[in-house]
Amino acid sequence: MSRFQSTAKTYVRPMSGWWLKTPYFFLYMIREGSAVFLTLYALVLLTGLGCLAWSPSAYEAWRGLLDTRLSLGFHVIALLIVAYHSLTWFQVMPKTAPKLPFDSRLIVRGALATSAGLSLLILAVLWWVA
Amino acid sequence: MQIIKSDVVVVGGGGAGLRAAIAAAESDPGLSISLISKVVPMRSHTVAAEGGSAGVIRDDDSLDQHFADTVSGGDWLCDQDAVEYFVEHCTEEMIQLEHWGCPWSRQEDGQINVRFFGGMKVQRTWFASDKSGFHLLHTLFQTSLKYPAIERYDEFFVADLLVEKGHVRGVLAIEIATGAFFLFECKAVILCTGGAARVYSQNTNAGIVTGDGMGIAYRQGVALRDMEFVQYHPTALPGTGILITEGCRGEGAILTNKHGYRYLQDYGLGPLDPWPRPKAMELGPRDRLSQAFWHEEQNGNTIDTPQGRVVHLDLRHLGAQRIHERLPLITEIARTFVGVDPLTQPIPVRPAVHYTMGGIACNRWTETTLPGLYAAGECSSVGIHGANRLGSNSLSEIVVFGKVAGERAAAYVREIADNDSRSIRQQANDSAARLLALLERTSGERVATLRHALGASMETGIGIFREASGMRATCDTLAELRQRYRAGVKLDDHSRAFNTEWLSVIELGFMLEVAEAMAHSAAQRQESRGAHMRLDDYQNRDDERYLAHSLARHGGDGPPTIDYAPVTITRSPPETRHYGGDGQRAELT
Amino acid sequence: MSDATPSRTIKIECLRYDPETDDKPRFQRYQVPFTDDMSVLQGLQYIKDHLDGSLTFRWSCRMAICGSCGKMINGVPQLSCHTFLREYYPRTVRIEPLNHFPVIRDLVVDQSRFLDHLETVKPYLIPKDDQPLAAGARRQTPAQMDRYYQYSQCINCLLCYAACPQFGLNPDFTGPAALALLHRYNADSRDQGWRARREVINAEDGVWSCTLVGYCSEVCPQGVDPAHAINQNKVNSTLDYFGILNLLLPKGDKT
Repeated sequence: MSRFQSTAKTYVRPMSGWWLKTPYFFLYMIREGSAVFLTLYALVLLTGLGCLAWSPSAYEAWRGLLDTRLSLGFHVIALLIVAYHSLTWFQVMPKTAPKLPFDSRLIVRGALATSAGLSLLILAVLWWVA
Repeated sequence: MQIIKSDVVVVGGGGAGLRAAIAAAESDPGLSISLISKVVPMRSHTVAAEGGSAGVIRDDDSLDQHFADTVSGGDWLCDQDAVEYFVEHCTEEMIQLEHWGCPWSRQEDGQINVRFFGGMKVQRTWFASDKSGFHLLHTLFQTSLKYPAIERYDEFFVADLLVEKGHVRGVLAIEIATGAFFLFECKAVILCTGGAARVYSQNTNAGIVTGDGMGIAYRQGVALRDMEFVQYHPTALPGTGILITEGCRGEGAILTNKHGYRYLQDYGLGPLDPWPRPKAMELGPRDRLSQAFWHEEQNGNTIDTPQGRVVHLDLRHLGAQRIHERLPLITEIARTFVGVDPLTQPIPVRPAVHYTMGGIACNRWTETTLPGLYAAGECSSVGIHGANRLGSNSLSEIVVFGKVAGERAAAYVREIADNDSRSIRQQANDSAARLLALLERTSGERVATLRHALGASMETGIGIFREASGMRATCDTLAELRQRYRAGVKLDDHSRAFNTEWLSVIELGFMLEVAEAMAHSAAQRQESRGAHMRLDDYQNRDDERYLAHSLARHGGDGPPTIDYAPVTITRSPPETRHYGGDGQRAELT
Repeated sequence: MSDATPSRTIKIECLRYDPETDDKPRFQRYQVPFTDDMSVLQGLQYIKDHLDGSLTFRWSCRMAICGSCGKMINGVPQLSCHTFLREYYPRTVRIEPLNHFPVIRDLVVDQSRFLDHLETVKPYLIPKDDQPLAAGARRQTPAQMDRYYQYSQCINCLLCYAACPQFGLNPDFTGPAALALLHRYNADSRDQGWRARREVINAEDGVWSCTLVGYCSEVCPQGVDPAHAINQNKVNSTLDYFGILNLLLPKGDKT
């Protein structure tokens, strides 16, 4: 099969600012952008690990840096954004699974419950250690 | 004007056109086949067929029974040689579609399932949920992509047929996107352009079903046969005319009037029990059911709604599971367009024009009287539907006869020499000039004004029941509308780019002439048969005078001339049609 | 159901573009009397019949099965026959051609990109064995049908493409509907076309151009869920890359 290719003049609309045009795209961009905060937070932790290996004073200095308003602010924002990232990640999870014989929302709910459970478990362990 | 040369031109990309193109490509891969369609093929109206497609498959069924059901359903106006060929080839075409991937609904063990349909003695309707036409069309369209011999021209509007020395030699088309004219020079043309139900205001059809192919063949002197037989589908939504499939009744749905009474038992389709049983009550043929509605409306037994008078199609007793599995599209349509949930409420329905039994006269090999011109599908009258088509015979028809047309045309072009194309080009230029004159009109009436007048006049005069005075009045109105059309239709749009207003004027020209063929054929048939029911002095079938096909021939600016041709009877002499009565209760599968 | 006589008027604003006279599109506003049961398509038809015959749009079946009448309606890709004016009143309804496609005229887009992509996915059965018709219909259980049936519901209305920014940014992306149809055949028990279609799946412009925005599945009027079809095939494509998929495929499909 071949198809006749028209030479009709057309108008191509620009794509600039496309992600501001619907809330769906905007939330998608936040989802993708949340990776930046994940990376930054990982860097903060890595720096801490590096400092711990370097010397006790370096580690104390790093801890001191964490105990600032700026740092606390960053961590609160990062926590919210990472939580959002996880939520969206769970929400799209069924799309990557094969066709399942049950409601795919069960996967989302299961993943959310598991992650909430694990978080609580970690908190409990930390509480017990502390 | 751009010139495209090919061996075979197929006009129309619905089920029949695609099947014809595939058949031509398979019978000779060396051919060049141009498939021209005014919409991208998968938009064609085949897509809207719901219920299914007939093909004998059960052990308790037989070709003889399919033949008998079809011939009696058509009130003995069928050409029985064509029906014989048809019933013999339906099943293999259904299997062919299965082999191409069509998702026919299955039984638990993986075998094909079949459902009941009106006027059919045994379950023989293959179905794909209630989207049978959709799946059939997409299967054919997607399969057609395999064949390099098929060259597609999507959104090209065929406006004229070019004939030289008594042979078809080409078509003139408009590329819709640019408004440019294209001349397709060829040796054979297969018309698969669908019906003409849009000439009525209340119809189940898509906007594209405007009888273009009938119109271009008719203008070239090919007769339109049996045009008075226009099918009203008994169950369409009021207002929009959107189709509610006969498959509902095949699955066991019932029709009730405003008293909750199953009124069909009063119109020769009863008794009520045992229910369900084939060819009785709601499983009667469409003509009888639509006529029963008309009587109920006259007797004040219908229900008034703002969109018109209705009866109720009740599915509730089928249960949610069966409704969801077998009738999901209907459920969705009822919810969206009339705000009714079929699980809990009956669907309001009334008859609407659905199908043109008649069409371009051709023999059972799809050959018309014009050498090189073939017709298949609803635009044709191959002779299998007679005076009333049975539901589920039309999807089978498009594939069975689409294939025949493709093979016949492929064989024909091998026998025919190339042509000196000068005269064809001159014809094409003249025709293009006439079309351009339509585009340039800046004064006159609006196209919608004439179209609405046409639809209303056809509903009034050539409806479910007819009488001489009404038919005469419609004939007069149509003559007047044609006169007004010639006087000029005013366009707001004079651009060449995707000018759908221009196309609608060209379509209206075809519609007016095809409607005139319907009205005059009806007015001259002094009997009642199938879908042509008269209230005046001719309420009975008259085999002495009218066991005959009507042939409408184009009369230029004047009315058509009507004459008659014999019906081919091979083994079933005319009898009384018999529905209802005794019978065994049937198990729905 | 509503009264069939219009008592209210709604504003409909349409994008207009005529390639013969315009360099870029503009908007034109119409006042349309409407009843509660009128679809957006019927509103457009009213304009065409009574107010302005030059307004250009595609439509055909009126019942959401032919896929012709998709438009951006107040920024959302929808079938205009399946969307009702009452849902917008008293706001203005703003109608634009489907996003991410070139505009031919007014509300009409150029669909040729999609048609090209559709062809590349070989959307037809590539059977395990060429059986003669005399062998009859093959068996396929409802459970086997269930694996692909949802993906066979695509009406090619292109709403998913209008919902896919990746297609807008890169028109070479095969896109949601075509990839869903690819999967429809791959998932069919009668088909063994994985090999013939693997290149399209694995390509940069195949499943890997999808970033799982997911809006395609939201706007699909038939519940096809193209995002699901595509993202299952990211897994398949990965398994294929590492040579694992071959072990998992049924016998006939092995390379």
